Amino acid sequence: MKRGERVIVIGAGHNGLIAAGLLAKRGLKPLVLEARGHVGGMMGDPDFRLSTMPFAVWPQVLRALGIDVAFEPMTTLVPTPQGVVGISTEQVVGAEDGQAAAYRALMSRLERQASALSGLLLKPPPNLASSGFGDLLGLAGTGLKLRGLGKTELRDLLRIVLSNIHDLIEDEIGDGPLAAALAVDATLGSAMGPRSPGTVLTLLLRMARNRGMRVMPKGGIDILTGKLENAVMACGGEIRTNAPVERILVEGDRVTGVQLAGGEIVPSAAVLSSAAPATTLLDLLGPQHLDAEFVRRCRKTASTGMVARIDFDLKDAPRFSGGTAPSGKDRIVIAESAAAVEAAFNAAKYGELPKQPVMEAHYDDRNRRLSVSAQFIPCSLKGGWKEESRRALQRLVERELARVFPGFGSLAAAARLMTAQDMAAAYRVPGGHWHHGELRIDQLLMLRPFDGAAHYAMPVEGLYLCGAGAHPGGDISGAPGFNGAQALLAGRRR
Amino acid sequence: MARKNAKAPHPQVAVGLEAGPFHERIAALNSQYGWMDWMGFASPSVLDNVEFEYFAIRNQSTLFDISPMCKYAIEGADAEAVVNRLVTRDIRKLKPGRVAYVIWCDEDGNVIDDGTVFRLAEDRFRLCCQEPQLAWLEDVAWGFDATIRDVSREMAALALQGPTSAALLRALAVKEMEQLKPFDFAAVRIGRKVVELSRTGFTGDLGYELWMKPQDAVAVWDDLVGAGGQQGLRVIGYQAVEMARIEAGFLLPKTDFLSSRTALRTDRPSTPFELGLERMIAFDKPHFNGRRALLRLAGSTPRRRLVQMEVGKDKPAANALVYHRKKKEVGMVTSALWSPTCKQNIAYAWLDAPYGETESGDLWVEIYLQKEIRWQRRMERCRIAEKPFFVHQRRSATPPGDY
Ligand SMILES: Cc1cc2nc3c(=O)[nH]c(=O)nc-3n(C[C@H](O)[C@H](O)[C@H](O)COP(=O)(O)OP(=O)(O)OC[C@H]3O[C@@H](n4cnc5c(N)ncnc54)[C@H](O)[C@@H]3O)c2cc1C
Repeated sequence: MKRGERVIVIGAGHNGLIAAGLLAKRGLKPLVLEARGHVGGMMGDPDFRLSTMPFAVWPQVLRALGIDVAFEPMTTLVPTPQGVVGISTEQVVGAEDGQAAAYRALMSRLERQASALSGLLLKPPPNLASSGFGDLLGLAGTGLKLRGLGKTELRDLLRIVLSNIHDLIEDEIGDGPLAAALAVDATLGSAMGPRSPGTVLTLLLRMARNRGMRVMPKGGIDILTGKLENAVMACGGEIRTNAPVERILVEGDRVTGVQLAGGEIVPSAAVLSSAAPATTLLDLLGPQHLDAEFVRRCRKTASTGMVARIDFDLKDAPRFSGGTAPSGKDRIVIAESAAAVEAAFNAAKYGELPKQPVMEAHYDDRNRRLSVSAQFIPCSLKGGWKEESRRALQRLVERELARVFPGFGSLAAAARLMTAQDMAAAYRVPGGHWHHGELRIDQLLMLRPFDGAAHYAMPVEGLYLCGAGAHPGGDISGAPGFNGAQALLAGRRR
Repeated sequence: MARKNAKAPHPQVAVGLEAGPFHERIAALNSQYGWMDWMGFASPSVLDNVEFEYFAIRNQSTLFDISPMCKYAIEGADAEAVVNRLVTRDIRKLKPGRVAYVIWCDEDGNVIDDGTVFRLAEDRFRLCCQEPQLAWLEDVAWGFDATIRDVSREMAALALQGPTSAALLRALAVKEMEQLKPFDFAAVRIGRKVVELSRTGFTGDLGYELWMKPQDAVAVWDDLVGAGGQQGLRVIGYQAVEMARIEAGFLLPKTDFLSSRTALRTDRPSTPFELGLERMIAFDKPHFNGRRALLRLAGSTPRRRLVQMEVGKDKPAANALVYHRKKKEVGMVTSALWSPTCKQNIAYAWLDAPYGETESGDLWVEIYLQKEIRWQRRMERCRIAEKPFFVHQRRSATPPGDY
């Protein structure tokens, strides 16, 4: 592409903004079109933020954009009847001594293995069909890193990588609050329980950068969003909110631009879409431009969201039984054990509300808001989501919170709820999925989002994916946005 | 255990095969008790004598039951878009009342199947083919305003083929037949039944196909057979049909090529270029299945090519290997026949590139002959033929001749 040429980026989530920022830096004129009234995607809505505690954006990505964000690591708190267990980068407090030591040993081993895999993530997935020289080099690099693990740990990695987190926990640390935290990290956002195969791999992928710790940008999330936004504008990019793209326009098997919901046509030589793959390919582009097998694989991609979000405005800070209150730098994980996480998943698997949902929560002390992500709340609830089932869910969440924060019932002034089904409509993501499509072994690497669509460039020339649905997947990381932009800049074709 | 069904309804037919709409009539004529399995239906392989049956195709007229063919109705506002997306030809050019021979490909540009498309109306089509395609058609139609229905069992069909077939229809006062050009079809009356008559077939000669409701099948049959004595009408089985097919140059799935949907080995499917069907690809129409792969293939040399060959002497080169300079193995024969009408020994063969493309001389087939339990090997010269061996001008003359 030539300098100054317009490129449309669909979606102003963090991946869309990052892709646009990189293109702008390289002299192209990105125009970001966002359907919603705010930028930042799932972490951007100040009134009802879905994504409240970001994982770290890859430092290489921020460097490439020339921006500087100070991230503060968060502490994970797991309340138990005996007190609160705290897990931070430095230490584990409040847990049984034997378990804490076993936990630390397991984590340092997993961290080494995760960092050996990290080389696979900030670049396109390996291309096995037409192994070009670059792909081979990349694979070889990862191979070298893996060899660096040493024989014993490499053998161990191969043994556990496709197994499930529950077995690993059982073998290495025994069930309890630390096990619960690990089980949540391995499954959060997925339609998988701790006993589902491949959950060690999903955990390792999360741990591949910053050891899988959540971070809080200094000054709050909106600082991160704001800096990503500025990076686009500073180099001549443009961002339009309330501008839903309705159709991607094609002529002679090439993208020519987009049509907005109001009918306005915006021409461009290339389109990068951070909207979910199925949304981009089936709704915006349309099956008429694609082969039937490609369409079938896209349709059949697993994307069942299982996280509901509920926000409580509180009259006062919530307090654990011991009397302490969580701070804005704490992440609260509410799950008794890995077994309890599995039990919650079991109910959701059959379309039911779990008896005891698994939750992670964040208390924003400035706004006195407690944001809860309730895991294993099925997108398509048996009997459908109705006023009654929504109330039942809210009561369930309040009951659990009252166990952790005695007297919670009298603290809550107002509550707002979004089920995965609401998110599906609001963010145009099939199933309202956290990762824009299940992140599991058959939808990873060169199979992400699905076989034949893995290298960002889509079959119609000039169309690229750059959102969480593409490799290496969701969470706040910036990797798919970075990789998608690189693919376009390199002129990659399918 | 004693069999409950002491009197089986169709005693001639193997267990597991189903009786088709014309079964009672065909069974009565099947003095060889020769049946084969065609899509689960009992289909006659030969009724009395394959030579008589074959010569009836070339000199008289013949009836062959083609009801077991797979038939799909594609209907709705987007039906044209769906069919156009399915096949490689530009179906927008097909007018109602016309039939087109079509092929369709998978995303890698490999052929899935061939067949015929009937355009019944602007928004109604029917696809006829050899292999079941319902799941595939539903995939192709996903996201379009069109319905796909398997109508295989809602229709009976007969092939009426041979030089005197038009005369026979004339005897039945089927006037619409006079204007039908090849690949036209129209609703006509046979006796008191309405049938759809298409001027289509697989013999390279004058011939028709009749499409009707299964409940009308026997009545239509009786009218045709009743009127056909003068024209030497003969009911025939598959073996004779197969001979005519080879002469006329039609390909047979599972024999000459393998559908990419059933092939397991990655190099077994074939592209339209390899089958010599590249003229059927309309690159200038909107996207259709496999288009991008076909464009890439168009720029490269096919791995192999299916060719028609004329072989020396008279022994059919069935299952033979093909050699270059009698030494190097370069291909294999898929179909072979001594053609009684052309007086030629003919075959289809796959030749690996560059044979059949730039290298076409000095080719030989290795024929094995058994003479009183002794096998003999014979190297026979063969050469590539450019046109089908049998296409008669009767095939297209309109109005059709009275023979
Ligand atoms: C409930 C919930 C909680 C989460 N919590 C966390 C967390 O704590 N930490 C973390 O790291 N991750 C979290 N995630 C995951 C994370 O938010 C996502 O993986 C991430 O937002 C994906 O970023 P993205 O830029 O690819 O897509 P998105 O953030 O989804 O942005 C895509 C944007 O595209 C827009 N769009 C879609 N279609 C169109 C169209 N046709 N025209 C114009 N615009 C369009 C959407 O409106 C959206 O703004 C959470 C996810 C959920 C659902």
